[in-house]
Amino acid sequence: MAYRYLFEQLVRRELRQKYKGSALGVAWYLINPLVLMGAYYLMFGLIFKLDDIEHYPLFLMVGLVVWIFFSQSVLSAAPSLLEQGALVRKASFPRVAIPGAVVSVQLVTFLVILALVAIVTIAVRGTLDVALLLLPLILACLYAFTLGFALAVSILHAYFRDVAPILSAALLPWFFVSPIFFQIDSITRNDAYRHLLEWGNPIAPFITAIRDVIYGGVVPQAGVLAYVAAAAVVMLLGGKWLFDRMQDELAVVV
Amino acid sequence: MSRRPALDAGVAPGEIVLEHASRAFSVKADRGRTLKEMLIGRTRAGGPAPVQALRDVSLRIAPGETVGMVGRNGAGKSSTLRVLSGIVPLNAGRVACGGQVVAQLELGAGFGRDFSGRENIFLNGALHGLVREQIEERLDAIIEFSELGDFIDAPVATYSSGMFLRLGFSIAAHLDADVLLIDEVLAVGDEAFQRKCEARIASQIAAGATLVLVSHDAALIERTCERVIVLDGGEKVFDGPVREGMPFYHRLMGTAEGADAVAPPPVPGEPPGERV
Repeated sequence: MAYRYLFEQLVRRELRQKYKGSALGVAWYLINPLVLMGAYYLMFGLIFKLDDIEHYPLFLMVGLVVWIFFSQSVLSAAPSLLEQGALVRKASFPRVAIPGAVVSVQLVTFLVILALVAIVTIAVRGTLDVALLLLPLILACLYAFTLGFALAVSILHAYFRDVAPILSAALLPWFFVSPIFFQIDSITRNDAYRHLLEWGNPIAPFITAIRDVIYGGVVPQAGVLAYVAAAAVVMLLGGKWLFDRMQDELAVVV
Repeated sequence: MSRRPALDAGVAPGEIVLEHASRAFSVKADRGRTLKEMLIGRTRAGGPAPVQALRDVSLRIAPGETVGMVGRNGAGKSSTLRVLSGIVPLNAGRVACGGQVVAQLELGAGFGRDFSGRENIFLNGALHGLVREQIEERLDAIIEFSELGDFIDAPVATYSSGMFLRLGFSIAAHLDADVLLIDEVLAVGDEAFQRKCEARIASQIAAGATLVLVSHDAALIERTCERVIVLDGGEKVFDGPVREGMPFYHRLMGTAEGADAVAPPPVPGEPPGERV
């Protein structure tokens, strides 16, 4: 697996280049999501108080961390092949390593912040349970899902330059329909809407499952776990398939 | 620069085969398509027609051969190298390039400007498919060859363009190549360093590597290559020994000066060597 080393090098490069010359450097990877989390807490925790949820800030944080990982990953992966155009045009190596490195850098930040949030949540709520053993599995599925999505948007954006703007426009409403700052049960009694919010949004079951094990201290429903596993496999294979199909002309289009 | 496994297992290491290879490029200013174009029809109307960079080119190069590729700007030389290195696929035909292919299409193409020279050796080596241990083995030789001295630990952004190219060449020159594809990158550094590069390539050829060299430097081609391929308008117009090929090339360029710029000029007289 010679290209594992290339992958490692691209991750290093990504880490170094993104915030080069800035005083805080790599710390920005942590500061950005933390500021975002602070802002959302201000909005939903203090201004529009949703008091019916216990330990609301923790409830909010667990969901937010997952969302931020997903959205930051796909947003930064989308233009990544164009940004590395010099490499793509002049060297032949597995192109999938470029968006792969972007998502992996986000994964590292995500795991750091998630660990902080999880420790506080579990300490405050006393939700340490065997259910937590499922977390690595769910996170692996989340990574696979996000990577598959990132592969698809990065290769599509290389050919159709509208993809990244469409994606960034879509992420805001997507955030609001995801169960991040609300519980699906508490906002609708209509079964059709409830099912749509639960299953129609592929990121929702990931948020639900991760929140169940960290915030709730319970094993997620079998249906949620099955959805998470299936979504991971389908998205990763689908994204990889699309990427492989479209990557031949990359050196010409980027 | 790039290095990767064989494009086709059907050829020997160092062997190159192109069969009826054709490749066209769109020459629109904005190469990416927007979604609107995809929805309302595939491409914008008007604009220049695609350029046929390669037109039904067939050639076979045996392991260990040294081949110069010449022709006017836009004749398809660089496209041929990009096809051989696997960066750009063919529209039609077949390409096979055996063994480890090291393509030097643009020295230092993958350099991270904020990284030191040393870090870039690792980054670039990785791009060529090497792992850490393989790069460490070559590290000292690469640094010595580049003559960068203490600058090797300074960010590449601080390098002069000559230093940049010297580092790029030094890395590429220390990969084990079965096929060397070199595009006009030998004008590296001062004359002494250029001689050193040529000597390095000569030693790789002596070790059995196949060389395909694109250059406008006729003297360099004559010094380095035994065989020459002349491309014109994407077609192979001459393929034979260098002592016959270069006069053919000079005549082609001579006639070209007064000729209509659009239509490829008629090929003068029956040249010696294999006419295609």
